[in-house]
Amino acid sequence: MKSKWSSMLLCILSAMVILSGCASGTKNAGGEERAGQTGSQTTISVWTLNNGWEWFASAVEDFENANPDINVELTQYEVDPYKESLKIAASSKTLPDMWFTWGGTLGSFYPENGLTLDLTQVSADHKWSDIYNKTAIDMSTYDGKVSGIPIHLNVLGMWYSNQIYEELNLKAPSTFAEFEEQLAILKENDITPLSFGSKGGWHTMRLTEQLLEYFAGPELHDKLKSLEASWNDPAVVKTFEKIKEYTDNNYFPVGYSSLDPMEAESLFYQGNTGMINEGTWFDRNITSNGVDPNDYGVFKFPTEHTPARSSVFVEMLQINGEIDSDKQEAAIKLGEYLTGKEVVNKYIGEYGSPALTEFEVSENTPHQKILLDHASEGGFLITDQALPQEVVQKIFEAQDKVALKEWTPEQAAENIDKAVNVYKSKQK
Amino acid sequence: MTTKTIKPWLFLMPALIIYLTVIFIPALYTMYLSLFSWNGVSSSKVFVGLNNYSDLFMHDTVFAKALKNNLVWMIGSLTLMVGSGLALALLLNKKLKGRIIFRGVFYFPYVLSGIVVATGWAWLYNPTQGFVNKLLTMLGLEHWTQAWLADPKTALYAVFIAAMWQGIGQPMVLFLAGLQTIPQDPYEAALIDGAKSHQSFWYITLPLLRETFLIVIATTLIGSMKVYDIIYGMTGGGPAESTQVLSTWMVSQTFKFANIGTGSAIAAVLVLICMIVIIPYVYYTTKKSHV
Repeated sequence: MKSKWSSMLLCILSAMVILSGCASGTKNAGGEERAGQTGSQTTISVWTLNNGWEWFASAVEDFENANPDINVELTQYEVDPYKESLKIAASSKTLPDMWFTWGGTLGSFYPENGLTLDLTQVSADHKWSDIYNKTAIDMSTYDGKVSGIPIHLNVLGMWYSNQIYEELNLKAPSTFAEFEEQLAILKENDITPLSFGSKGGWHTMRLTEQLLEYFAGPELHDKLKSLEASWNDPAVVKTFEKIKEYTDNNYFPVGYSSLDPMEAESLFYQGNTGMINEGTWFDRNITSNGVDPNDYGVFKFPTEHTPARSSVFVEMLQINGEIDSDKQEAAIKLGEYLTGKEVVNKYIGEYGSPALTEFEVSENTPHQKILLDHASEGGFLITDQALPQEVVQKIFEAQDKVALKEWTPEQAAENIDKAVNVYKSKQK
Repeated sequence: MTTKTIKPWLFLMPALIIYLTVIFIPALYTMYLSLFSWNGVSSSKVFVGLNNYSDLFMHDTVFAKALKNNLVWMIGSLTLMVGSGLALALLLNKKLKGRIIFRGVFYFPYVLSGIVVATGWAWLYNPTQGFVNKLLTMLGLEHWTQAWLADPKTALYAVFIAAMWQGIGQPMVLFLAGLQTIPQDPYEAALIDGAKSHQSFWYITLPLLRETFLIVIATTLIGSMKVYDIIYGMTGGGPAESTQVLSTWMVSQTFKFANIGTGSAIAAVLVLICMIVIIPYVYYTTKKSHV
C-alpha cells in the first residue's frame, strides 16, 4: 500500500517537473537574458544579435542608470536562430517590445502584418531627418510608414590586400575592363582572385548583384528588384555568363559552391585570395582576426553607370505595435538613445556603421567613412533583402547550378523568372 | 467503473495530458494548417485544400530531391550504420584489453551536438586546407582529392559519412546490450556440435538479437527521416539544393518563406512516412509484450 502511494506520488512529481520545464517563462532560445525587476518601473523586452553587438548590453545598462523608471530585458541571439525566433514569436504573438531587424523583405514582414508601431509622427516630431541618414530612414519606411528606428547603414565594397596589390603593381580599378584585367593578373600570379563562399548563397550574391548593376544599369536593376521587369532578360543572362566564366577560369576558391563565407574570409586574411566583397563592418572583422585594417584597401565596384551606386542595406529597431503606450514610449526613448550620437561615439570602435548623419570616425574602422562616401552617389538595396525570399532562394540555386554546369545562364534567367511568376501568382 | 479500472488511468493521466498537449494536438493542428495558405501571422488563412500537397508532389523539384535524399539516407543508415554498429558491438563484446575504453571512444561522438560535428567535418572536407584531401595527397592519391561538399554527386555522401561517424555509437550500444543478454549455453552446444563461428553468428546470435534489431531499425529509420542539424551545418542544403532533406526544406518553407501551409504539408508527409514504420513496430512489440 505504502509503495503504491509512493509510486503515485513519484508520477505526479515527475509530471510537475516536466510541466514546469515546458511552461518556462524565459525566452532562452540560444540567447542570454537578464531578469527584470518588479515595482513601478516600465519593463521592456529587447531582442538583438550577439555577434558584433557586444557593446549593446553596456549601452543598455547606461540607459537604465540614466532612466531608473525603465527596466530592459535583453535577449541576444546568433543570426540564423534569430531570424527563426522572430518569425516564431510573430506567429505566436509573443514578439518582444523592441527588436533588431534587417531591412528589405527581412524586415517588411512585421509592418506588413501590422505588428510594428508606426513611427512616422515620431520621426517628424523628433526631427529624425536631421539625425539619421535619409537613405536609412527611407529604407526603414514601408508603405509610406516609418517602421523602425535606423541603427546601421551598411555599404558594401570590394576589399583587397594592399600587400598583394603593391607586389603586383596594381591599383584599385576604375573600369570594368581594369577589374577583369586584375582578375587575370592575380590568377597568373597564383592568387585566387575572388574570395567568395557560396554556402547559403548570399556571399556570392554580392558579386552577382554588382554584375547585374553593370549589365542592367540602375533603372532596369530597380525594375528587376521590384518585379516589374522580367528576369528572363539579356542582362540577367550576361550576369550569369560572367559567373560561369569566372568559375571556369578558376577565379573563385576551389569548391566555393559549398564553402562557408567564413572560410573564404580566412583565405583572404591568409593572403591566398585577392578580393572579397564585404561592408562597413569588415574593419571590425579584420581586427577581431588579429590583422590590421590598414593592410587592406577598398574600392567601389566599377559598374560604369551614372549614378555609380553601391549595394546598401539598413538595420533597424522595430517596436511592437500591440504593447501599451507606456512601453511604446519607453521603447522609443531607448531606441533613440541607442542610435544617438552619444552612444554611437562612445562605442564607435565596435558599434558598426551608424545610420546617423554625423558621427566621430574611429581609427579602428578606417574604411567606414570611405564606404559611406561611396554610397553618397546612391545605393541599391542588397538583393537578399530587396526580393521575396522564394525568389532569392532561386537566385542562390541559379548561382550554384551555373557554376556546377547544371544550368546554362539562359536557364538560370528562365528559372528565376519562373520563380518570380509563381510568387506573384500566390499573391493574387 | 471499478478502482481497478480507474487506477491505471490515474497513473497514466499526467504523462497523457502532456503528450496530448505538447505532441498530439500540435501535430493535428499542423495537419490542419497544411490545408491553408498562411504566412503564420495574418488573421486570414486561405483554405486551399490539398493544393499544398499537390504543389509539393507535382511542381516542387526541391521537395522531390529532398524526398529522394531522405530515402538514400534511410538506406545508408539501415545498411551501413546499423551494420557497422553491429560489427563494432560484436568486436567489443569479446574479451579485449581496454574494451571499456574503446566503447567510450566509439560512443563519444554520439553525445556531441550535430552542429559541432558539422563544423568539424566541414573543415576536414575543406578542399585546400582540409585533412581529408591532405591525407589523400600524402598517400599518393592526389587524383582522388576534390571539393567533397561542393559537388552534388558527392556532397550528400560526404555528409552521411560525418553522420555515420557521429551516429554509429547508438546502434553499437544497443547491440552490445542485446549481445550481453544472450546466454553462453547455445554457443557451447553449437561448438560441441562442430559449428563454425560464422554459423554461430547466423544461427544463434542474429535470431537472439531480433528484439534488439527491431529497436535499432525503428530508431534508425525515424532518425534518418528527421535528420537536420548535420546537413544544415555542413551544406545548408546546397550546393544547388542537392543535399536538401524534408526537414531542411520544411524549415526553409516555414521560416524563410513564411509558407506555413507548405511547411506543414512537408511535416505531415514526414509524419506519415514515419508512421509507416512506427505503427507496425508498436503493433509487433505490443503483441510480443508479456504484460
